[in-house]
Amino acid sequence: MTGIEMDRDDDQLEDFFAAARRAAAVPSEALLARIIADAEDAMPVRTASRDPARVAPARAGLLRWLGAQAGWGALGGLATATVAGLWFGYAGLGETGPLAGLVGAGASVGATELLPGGDTIPLLPGWEG
Amino acid sequence: MPLDLDDPRSDDALLALYGRGDGAAARILALRLTPLALRVGQRMLGDAAEAEDLAQEAMLRLWRAAPGWQAGGAKVSTWLYRVVMNLATDRLRRRRTVPLDDGPEPEDGQPGAVAGLIEAERAAALEAALMALPDRQREAVVLRHLEGLANPEIAEIMGVGVEAVESLVARGKRGLAQRLAGRREELGYDGD
Repeated sequence: MTGIEMDRDDDQLEDFFAAARRAAAVPSEALLARIIADAEDAMPVRTASRDPARVAPARAGLLRWLGAQAGWGALGGLATATVAGLWFGYAGLGETGPLAGLVGAGASVGATELLPGGDTIPLLPGWEG
Repeated sequence: MPLDLDDPRSDDALLALYGRGDGAAARILALRLTPLALRVGQRMLGDAAEAEDLAQEAMLRLWRAAPGWQAGGAKVSTWLYRVVMNLATDRLRRRRTVPLDDGPEPEDGQPGAVAGLIEAERAAALEAALMALPDRQREAVVLRHLEGLANPEIAEIMGVGVEAVESLVARGKRGLAQRLAGRREELGYDGD
């Protein structure tokens, strides 16, 4: 094979390579979904926001902390309002807030859980007026 | 989703985040790396469905490797190329009963003057010619000329020296040129 023939072969091969590069396979959405599902299953450490089993202890810890700050045993109207306000502010942060990781996306968190066994709404100042 | 591909964090950093339980990092890695695994799998196996299985298996191995990943070591993509090539080699060994040079042929009666069709036929012809090469030559040619990797990285992926890569690429290209020579005219090149 002469040098000219080799150059021509290289040029023509490059045309083939270029065509093949442009025709490269692209992953389907179904394949990507399977791969992401595998990643979820294989995840070595689960964050609180993903794992409901870990959400409850985290939330309980937050509530214990809130209780300690408010003097849980002697909750009066003002303390109730303060804690409830803090709670509503926190709950309002949603998934994008800095504490969002403590509350699971699927977890049901309501004000009633802040005061177990109590009737929250009548305790709020001004409710009856 | 396009924003995920623009994420400035390295594959290394994202894999470490995934190892610590960050699902979003896994999603970015999947979007970034699955195309690599799929297209190389397709080129090595010449079979779309099997290439999908291979890509999923390679990515699963990546997820499982995350906890023990050594940051600052091999590039994630280099590691993934190696896994894809090894998985492809295993699959090729299992199907050795199938004749290697029975690659896809262009359909009869296709008008060769249509540029887009010629483009597709050239890609298909190259795929068929690649499948006729010995596995190691095909690996080297795919990584060099279709993935655009440098010889030292190819050497790392293939576990050989740079000179061996150069030799495999050269022999592979000669094999491709010989195989494609008889089809120049039908693929839009003037006759000799």
